[in-house]
Amino acid sequence: MVGRSGGRAGRPRRALAGAAAAAVLSSVLAACGGGGGGVPTLTWYTNPDNGGQAEIASRCTDDAEGRYRIETSVLPRQAGAQREQLVRRLAANDSSIDIMSLDPPFIPEFAQAGFLAPIPEEVAQRVTEDVVESAIEGSTWEDELVAVPWWANTQLLWYRKSVAEAAGLDMTQPVTWDQLITVAQEQDKLIGVQGARAESLTVWLNALIESAGGSIIAQNSTNPDKIELGLTSDAGVRAAEVMRDVSRSGQAGAALSTATEATSATGFEGPDAGFQVNYPFVWGQALTAVKAGTLDQAVPDDYGWALYPQVDAGTESAPPYGGINLGVSAFSEHADFAYEATECIASTENQAYYFVHDGNPASDTAVYDDPDVLKVFPMAPTILDSLDQAAPRPQTAYYSEVSGGVQREYHESSSVDPETTPQKATDFITAVLRKEQLL
Amino acid sequence: MSRREKNWWIVAGVLIVVYALFPIAWIISLSFKAPSDLANGQFLPTKATSENYKLILTGDASDLFLPALRNSFGICLIATFISCVLAMFAAYAIARLDFPGKRFILGTALAVAIFPVISIVTPLFNLWRNIGLYDTWPGLIIPYLSLTLPISIWTMSAFFREIPWEMEQAAQVDGATTWQAFRKVIVPLAAPGVFTTAIIAFFIAWNDFIYGISLTSTNAARPVPAALGLFSGASQFEDPTGAIAAAAVLVTIPVVALVLLFQRRIVAGLTNGAVKG
Amino acid sequence: MSTTTLPPTEKAAPVSAPKGTISDRARSERKLGWLLAGPALAVMLLVTAYPILQAVYDSLFDYRLTDPDNRSFTGLNNYVVILTDSTWWTAIAVTVFITVVTVAVELVLGFALAFVMAKALSAIRPVLRAAILIPYAVITVVSAFAWRFAFAIDTGFVNSWFGWLPGVGADTDWFGGQMSALFVICVAEIWKTTPFISLLLLAGLAQVPEVLQEAAKVDGATWWQRLRKVTLPNMKAAIMVALLFRTLDAFRVFDSIFVMTAGANNTETVSFLAYRQTISRLEIGLGSAVSVLLFLVVVGIAAVFIKGFKVDLSQARGEG
Repeated sequence: MVGRSGGRAGRPRRALAGAAAAAVLSSVLAACGGGGGGVPTLTWYTNPDNGGQAEIASRCTDDAEGRYRIETSVLPRQAGAQREQLVRRLAANDSSIDIMSLDPPFIPEFAQAGFLAPIPEEVAQRVTEDVVESAIEGSTWEDELVAVPWWANTQLLWYRKSVAEAAGLDMTQPVTWDQLITVAQEQDKLIGVQGARAESLTVWLNALIESAGGSIIAQNSTNPDKIELGLTSDAGVRAAEVMRDVSRSGQAGAALSTATEATSATGFEGPDAGFQVNYPFVWGQALTAVKAGTLDQAVPDDYGWALYPQVDAGTESAPPYGGINLGVSAFSEHADFAYEATECIASTENQAYYFVHDGNPASDTAVYDDPDVLKVFPMAPTILDSLDQAAPRPQTAYYSEVSGGVQREYHESSSVDPETTPQKATDFITAVLRKEQLL
Repeated sequence: MSRREKNWWIVAGVLIVVYALFPIAWIISLSFKAPSDLANGQFLPTKATSENYKLILTGDASDLFLPALRNSFGICLIATFISCVLAMFAAYAIARLDFPGKRFILGTALAVAIFPVISIVTPLFNLWRNIGLYDTWPGLIIPYLSLTLPISIWTMSAFFREIPWEMEQAAQVDGATTWQAFRKVIVPLAAPGVFTTAIIAFFIAWNDFIYGISLTSTNAARPVPAALGLFSGASQFEDPTGAIAAAAVLVTIPVVALVLLFQRRIVAGLTNGAVKG
Repeated sequence: MSTTTLPPTEKAAPVSAPKGTISDRARSERKLGWLLAGPALAVMLLVTAYPILQAVYDSLFDYRLTDPDNRSFTGLNNYVVILTDSTWWTAIAVTVFITVVTVAVELVLGFALAFVMAKALSAIRPVLRAAILIPYAVITVVSAFAWRFAFAIDTGFVNSWFGWLPGVGADTDWFGGQMSALFVICVAEIWKTTPFISLLLLAGLAQVPEVLQEAAKVDGATWWQRLRKVTLPNMKAAIMVALLFRTLDAFRVFDSIFVMTAGANNTETVSFLAYRQTISRLEIGLGSAVSVLLFLVVVGIAAVFIKGFKVDLSQARGEG
């Protein structure tokens, strides 16, 4: 909503207004014209953002040199609502969708349902060159690339330098969750985690299990009756322990059971902040607050960042992976143009632009060498390391059942019992997958 | 009215206004808070800013908000009008005339109002796409009629039932035609019920979210509640609550004007001393 | 208990009509009746007949929207799954709780406000009327957001303003427990929808014949007696419609829960279950079955209301 990097605010804004006007105008024209003759128009269904996708659409329209035009159409803000709109239309074989901005957990479902057009070999080669492993994993289903990796999000461990110093915690070395709990208790500072009954809970559990060496889905299958969960494995139990320990440490904040990424970020700006695990948007948010005069500059100056905490000392952590990947609809009338367009959208320059303008980290490793990016996001190298280690959430067409079940059983995180909760969750999710129970 | 009574009324009046408008004041306050200020834990903003209003009126969100405003008003007003007319005729027939199937109509109206919209939406979506009503004004007006007609029919039937029809007969005896009797005698008596129904129907259509978001895809027909779901915060994790509050405030002002206009009609019956046995 | 209503007028019987046949007048009345009521019926059915029948049909299948090839007929199996699931019964309990609490409070509050709107001091009457009706004008989702923000620990002012009450402190997590979350949800619902009842009751009040009120006053009845014996019985139809539709809506509450708790801490209602199966899981079969069950339950409630009130809107010409 507010331009972050001072000098650039003017140009994108004006270009944005132009792009928006062009988008509106061309959608009106497209509606009237009906596609008979004239330049084919690709409709790109995007999640709402700060205007970056609209700008990239207009840039790539220019790059197309008249062969096709890209327009954006915005979807609802919540990922679940985005999926709802897209699935309803794709299930009706709607040809008005060409390119879609997809949340990675939905990609297996879309691919399995036949909603995504197959990616040509050469395109697949090019779009996975120099791309972080987690983004490629998140765009793959049944060993095939089904979506084009675009931007990749990951959670870092943010800490207040003053708190870490006071505790004598060496942040140049990887830290574990237990260390964080100890320091937070000693210093009486808060650890920011997202304990709300929402997707963020699944993200947290997944990161913990993967960091402990296990997976939420131990044995995957396209047949829901045959999916085997890994919640009761040693890694799963360990993950539940960590979740309980953090939640009951007394340092997770009074609003843990409703804490979302946004509230964690805001809480980290407060006086009792110690640590938090969150996405890079917290940096931009703090800087915006300083500009708006509601936050002191000293606060973001005190921000430090490191890799996601380890579960067991010595074992590499598996930070969460999220972001957006681009899918091309199987019912699009211009799939070839659409893939060309996605290559342009996911090009290094555009990813760098999007990173700087909207604060969404790139999946293309080349972007992290860009000096502009480093200037605005000094934590970019840590983000890259994090993305290299990151593990996507369970890849399955039945993701909503798995995540819904996890959310139901693991909320509230303070009442998680490592002895019983994993088994209860496994029983519940298995029953739901077999359609023997309601979610 | 005694002095004491007057004072009681004023006290009660103040309490009622506070009860009714306090949350509205909160929404207005939210609309003047900068995004970073939303979590300040106070009622008032630390520094009031009009950036939310700028955003939705002239800024990035204006091409979502302004067309949505136009769509909402147009669609809801048309749906309300059609609904009132159809319901008026139906209610007159049900309350006044004797024909088989009256209970059937009332029952169907109820059934249509009860069935959860969430299961209706996808089949309706498919139907609309095939017919070509998807993302159009009629494509929303017609489902809104199914939302508003049931309550309209029941409400008007309830009110028409209370009207003493012998007055119509008396007027006819005095030489008026059926139509004149209806217009000059019945219509003023029915006015409270009709205007009540109009307000209620309008608000039911106004508040709809699910049809709005599922049966539209562009600014051509998208109403305000659906557009609010498309607003974005600075990042995908922040709810643009300030902008949403600002939009809500702007959207409520004309509606309040509408309400003020109609509210006198509802109680016109009382002040006219309309019904004297 | 005796009540006072206007004496029913006599219905003019058709003259010399042989038993078993309809007079011309009656026939033309029927025609007129269908002519007037037909369009409304047609419009209602036009939109919803196909989707409702489709939903009922779908509820007999095991059908996932993203897997249409594996659709299979399972008969009433979906219903069995739902009715044997404790999640369903918990949701029903929560829904009934919310419905009873909100409707009961709204009825009393709504009546008081309707009275105020009708009888308030004429100087402040327009202001009061507008103020009372405004909550209904606020978009439901925005209202839910506003209430959530007010009660949330980090963004709200409720904890700091009401900290002096026992049980409320700076750390009170309103949405962290079932009862406190339900309290906030109910308060939000009551604030938002009381105007609906007030409006209907106000119009009902406007229709109570003055002549009866005067007569009762002359007879020396107290205000309370007049209320019970004159006003309320004459408003029966309005009260019934208000109560009926408000209960039906309360039973299907969704927006507030979605925005405030997303169903956490056992605050799920039945609509939420329908939403989860239909939209989150894309299990159209199960979701439609939940919808059909919800429909049947609400129809049952409606039937109880209508029978209980003994008000037949279709009885014409003051027979009731």
